[in-house]
Amino acid sequence: MARVSEGSTIHAVNYSIAKTKEKLENLQLQGSNLKKVQKPSDDPVGNMEILSIRSKKIDGDQFTRNASVAKAQLTFTENAIEELTELMVKAKELAIGQSSNIFDPAIRQSVAKEVSQLHNQSVGIANRRLGNKYIFAGHKTLTKPFDSEGKYLGDENQTKIEVGKDVFVPITFNGKDVFFQKTDTTMSSRSPLDNSPFEHLEKKFELQTEEEPHFKENEVKFNRTPASEAPFEPQVQEDLRTTMFGELKRLENALLTNNHEIIQDILPKFDKTIDRLVEVRTVIGSTINKIDNAVNTIEKQNLTNEAYKSRIEDADVAELFTDLTRQQNVLNATYKSSAQMMNNNLMKYIN
Amino acid sequence: MGADLFSIGRSSLRTSKKSLATTSHNIANANTEGYSRQKITAETNTPIASGKNVYGTGVNVRSVKRVHDKLVEKKLNDSISDHNYNNERTNQLSNVEEIFNEINSDGMNKILNRFFNSFRELSNQPENEVVRTLVRDNANIVVKDFKRISNSITHVKERIDTQISGIVEDANVLGATIADLNKETTRIENMGGETGDLRDQRDEAVRQLSESFDINTYEDEKGQYVVNIVGGGSLVAGGAVNRLKLGKIGGDEVGSYKDESRAEIYFEAGGNQTPISASIKSGKVGALTQTRNDEVGLLRGQLDEMAHGLVHITNAIHRKGYVNKSIPTDQNGNLINDPGAGKITGINFFKEPLQLKQASQFLDLSDEVKADLNNITTGLEPNSPGDNRIAIAISKVQHEKVLGEGSKTFEESYLQSIAKIGLATSKSKVNSEQSRGILAQAKSIKERVSGVSIDEEATNMVKYQQAYEASAKMIRAADEMFDSVLGMMR
Repeated sequence: MARVSEGSTIHAVNYSIAKTKEKLENLQLQGSNLKKVQKPSDDPVGNMEILSIRSKKIDGDQFTRNASVAKAQLTFTENAIEELTELMVKAKELAIGQSSNIFDPAIRQSVAKEVSQLHNQSVGIANRRLGNKYIFAGHKTLTKPFDSEGKYLGDENQTKIEVGKDVFVPITFNGKDVFFQKTDTTMSSRSPLDNSPFEHLEKKFELQTEEEPHFKENEVKFNRTPASEAPFEPQVQEDLRTTMFGELKRLENALLTNNHEIIQDILPKFDKTIDRLVEVRTVIGSTINKIDNAVNTIEKQNLTNEAYKSRIEDADVAELFTDLTRQQNVLNATYKSSAQMMNNNLMKYIN
Repeated sequence: MGADLFSIGRSSLRTSKKSLATTSHNIANANTEGYSRQKITAETNTPIASGKNVYGTGVNVRSVKRVHDKLVEKKLNDSISDHNYNNERTNQLSNVEEIFNEINSDGMNKILNRFFNSFRELSNQPENEVVRTLVRDNANIVVKDFKRISNSITHVKERIDTQISGIVEDANVLGATIADLNKETTRIENMGGETGDLRDQRDEAVRQLSESFDINTYEDEKGQYVVNIVGGGSLVAGGAVNRLKLGKIGGDEVGSYKDESRAEIYFEAGGNQTPISASIKSGKVGALTQTRNDEVGLLRGQLDEMAHGLVHITNAIHRKGYVNKSIPTDQNGNLINDPGAGKITGINFFKEPLQLKQASQFLDLSDEVKADLNNITTGLEPNSPGDNRIAIAISKVQHEKVLGEGSKTFEESYLQSIAKIGLATSKSKVNSEQSRGILAQAKSIKERVSGVSIDEEATNMVKYQQAYEASAKMIRAADEMFDSVLGMMR
């Protein structure tokens, strides 16, 4: 028979009450925000996953924001190019109308005026701005890309942004690509949808490994400069290109000088220009598709991640409250039995 | 013969009274921490032979002994050190864990993420001044959070240091108490006195020491305790105390900032030669030194690596960019670098130089970026306000494996550190729960053996009271017998 002393009784009572209360407190805390992971130690690996999913969510939100910026910019550009196309079609119709050597000089004069207007309009469109940014200026977005003669002052860069992890899309088309006629049509081969120049970023931050410190004081070496463009190819001579504005100007001059041969010579060039504009629009269309796909992917990912996170993080409400009730009952029972045990001893019965 | 009756009666009275006194002492100390119930050992007096008969001469109290089991006591002390180790470790690690808990609030992970995403936002509109403000604000939050964590870690260290130093002081006092009790016990025992209470006090002192260290005690031939710290050395030997002291070593000094990387405990007599704390694996001291010197130290290292890496990679990319201002050029298109107008390229984003040690504490934005938002570069080429390539490259650092010699991204590195602390904390919680159960059991066993039971004392009380009354009646009977004899003489 085990000996029972006052001390052992009290220890037993304290221990059982404390244990039940601790469990109850824990459940209560979970009940207060319905999360079963309250701190890293509740589920160390789960905590890691929760935080990592949260980061992906923030990234996803940013990419979605980037996507809408890209779409806005591309739609704006597309509208401009659509107007340019219409303008060129109009110019072509005018040119066809005047391409024979039978003509009325007065009409040619007025057509020439119309062409001149078209020229000015096209320069106006080429200098169009979204917010404070010129859309056809390459990287020199704050400088007017074309002067009144149609001389290009921008550069040949294209801005890209990231709309999904490692998914880069072009959001600008520089003036050279849109307004200049090249002798060959290499434009399609260097479509902005080519492999993103950032793909090499995968391995680019090669840290020089020296004993100490980990990072060399001065330089982190890039295999390539960050975000460098693939070199332009083939290098087309400046003088071999003609601009849309030049073509319009030539048409105007030909009309003024009644030179139908030049007018006929210009017609196929107009076709090429229109083809090029259509091509750019196609590229924009497919880029917008790509953006939509990227956004869809992010949304799907968010959904899957949220479900997964909830499985790790959220408490099972039914189970939680059943447990809570049970522990409360246990505690009440412990109180009652303890009171019985502690309030009784032989001394009471000895007079 | 009558005289015998009186003396037998008197011995019985005395024994019963002593027994009652002991019962009363037990009841009085029923709730005294560390008290062992005491028990009277009574024995019959030496009988006298007279002729053929042998006459008993009554009873006498041989000793008052405490009920005590050395093995139970040892088991209890071990459970105490073990539980205190687990419990203290849980406490400390929970403190550390709380620094990194971002389940219900924003923490470093989210903040770093926002930092990189603000560069992504900047890549949308590199011309925009407002977005640059966003970038700088987010960078400032990163700086602040690194400082917050660094300060919190220092705070945890300092708190642990204070705790250890308190424990060392207590241990020295307890050691002295045990040594004094050793001497006193021997003195009283030599005079044949009772030492149950003193021994209880001594055991209680040892038990208190067990909270801080893993203690091993044995009695030498004189009945004095020798108290050893397991893995350390002897703290008390008889009447002598070997005092302890706290020492901090391996200071990481950066400027006026000092942060001792280790706290160790030494014997005062041994100088700073060999710390004993490294081999203490149990008790509060084991928990405190281990948490402080290992886990917290490691965390600080990982945090510094992150801060240092962030600064150097961001700067390396940022330096390649050109300022967001129009830079004058000559006829040939070469840039004119006007030294009065400030740098146009090669600008650091974060302040350099920065040493690896304490990088998290001293992280800051560069003076250029602090002074002018346009010094946040986005373009790889000069005079290209729409060029976003630097911003994109910096934002891509987020997903690059740049830490741990190219094996981890910032997020992976950070989350791994948290996971480590989380695992250590959850392990120590489980251990602590277990050891609490074991401790409760050990205490209960000890109380069953040595604790006072009021029921038992109540029966004893009645028993001894009755014995006392009976003895008193016996003496009256003897008295009456005397009276009868004396009456005969009249």
